[in-house]
Amino acid sequence: MAKILVVDDEEGIRILYSMELHDEGYEVVTLPDGTGLIETLDKEQPDCVVLDIKMREYNGLDLLQEIRKKYYDMPVILNSAYSSFKVDLKAVAADYYVVKSSDLRELKDKLKVALEARIPRG
Amino acid sequence: MIAIQDNPRGITSAQVVVGIPSFNEAQTIAVPTMQADKGLSRHFSGRSAVIINCDNHSPDGTRRVFMETPTNSPKIYISTPEGVTGKGNNLRNLFERAVALKAQAVIVIDADLASITPQWIHSLGSPLFDKSEFVTPLYVRHKYDRLVNNSVAYPLTRALYGRRVRQPVGGEFGFSGRLAQSFLEAEGWNDAVANFGIDIWMTTIAMRSRAQIIQSFVGKPKIHRARAQESSASPVFENVVETVFQLMCRYEEFWKDVKWSRPTAVFGFGAELEVPPPIKLDTQRLWDRFASGVPSLWALYAQVIQPATLGKLAEVAELPREHFEFPTALWAKVLYDFARAYKNEVAPRADLISALGPLYDGKTLSFVIETEHMNTQQVEEIIEDQCIQFEKAKPYLLERWFGR
Repeated sequence: MAKILVVDDEEGIRILYSMELHDEGYEVVTLPDGTGLIETLDKEQPDCVVLDIKMREYNGLDLLQEIRKKYYDMPVILNSAYSSFKVDLKAVAADYYVVKSSDLRELKDKLKVALEARIPRG
Repeated sequence: MIAIQDNPRGITSAQVVVGIPSFNEAQTIAVPTMQADKGLSRHFSGRSAVIINCDNHSPDGTRRVFMETPTNSPKIYISTPEGVTGKGNNLRNLFERAVALKAQAVIVIDADLASITPQWIHSLGSPLFDKSEFVTPLYVRHKYDRLVNNSVAYPLTRALYGRRVRQPVGGEFGFSGRLAQSFLEAEGWNDAVANFGIDIWMTTIAMRSRAQIIQSFVGKPKIHRARAQESSASPVFENVVETVFQLMCRYEEFWKDVKWSRPTAVFGFGAELEVPPPIKLDTQRLWDRFASGVPSLWALYAQVIQPATLGKLAEVAELPREHFEFPTALWAKVLYDFARAYKNEVAPRADLISALGPLYDGKTLSFVIETEHMNTQQVEEIIEDQCIQFEKAKPYLLERWFGR
């Protein structure tokens, strides 16, 4: 069972994603913001991170760069209510960018692809 | 291969090497040389450094201009023998010299770069002193600049090797000394690589060797001397395609197991406020080459392209110019079929690359029509969609190549 870490400052989103992704067969852990993010990655070793961008004290685009420094190949999906951050060069380091919607099909599709993506290790 | 060298300060080692490949660049090489020197002074002052002009024995005085450009950093001039040209040959000389100097970081910049700033040297070199081994630039190019990158090199290497490197034939790179050694030891050096195939060759070898790749924001769009390079008549197209196909044959055991694609890390951020100058394309010439070339090559296409795909291509070939469109999903399959034909030598390989030309011209025309009124961001979204279509069509390649 793949483990997904959802980082979002909206409790409603964390609850909704936990339920929906659990129903899809994923194990879900959540964080309310970037506090302790790297420690959580170290401990939980998720297969993919779903990362909000605009959180009160944290910017998901900056958190993404922190993740890439330590976990170069960790799949990360940026998930924001805003499409405008898509043009930010920092977003290039994300696997996918999904604009939040009440319909989670796109997020689920991108999660599936991100988890399937494979480059041989040799 | 190094026939001439000029090393007035007797440099025998350097931690950072900036290489500037050239052929007849006397008019332009002073600018990147001075900017490289400023970048080294500003960002690598604690490290030993050298600027190397690796030249093709230019008769226009490139060597004199380079050596007389005032710099704080020492300079070395090296050249291929007279009559031996090719960017790849220049870079091979650079790899040799960088290894001999025990360089930790090698930065390559084009000799005709007009928009380079000292920041470029920082952006391309600094990640090499952290974990990265191969650095490619992130910058805005005009939507019609180096179209072979957008239609062939980027989507194909991304689908094949699984790493999203936006400028695999960008012309500017940073790489580690270890990777310079790997380039020297890599097999498969040929005429295409010795010329304009060198950029995609280096990028592919970096991907294949699992080097940690980073894309680096350099702060300004790429502005360089405009060249007539966007039709299939350009040697750039033939060299790039030949190199990609040759590497597909060599690395099939690697790319067959790659699925979808992954991003790279990114270095350096900021806003790019300038826009590159416009590039005009001769769309009538593209149309003429497509419309006249396709019928004359149809018999060969029938040997190369899978029947259902050939049927779709026939539909495209019948479209009038005012409704012309070459769907990317079809283009991906056509390229995959040509790659397979190249591997199996269905026809002489040079003939196959040449026969792909009119189809590339058609795809280029279709891209120009589609993006004529689009801004840079909109065009980037089109290119991203093209890449996804190449990735989705990969099972077609696997079936055709391996008979799965």
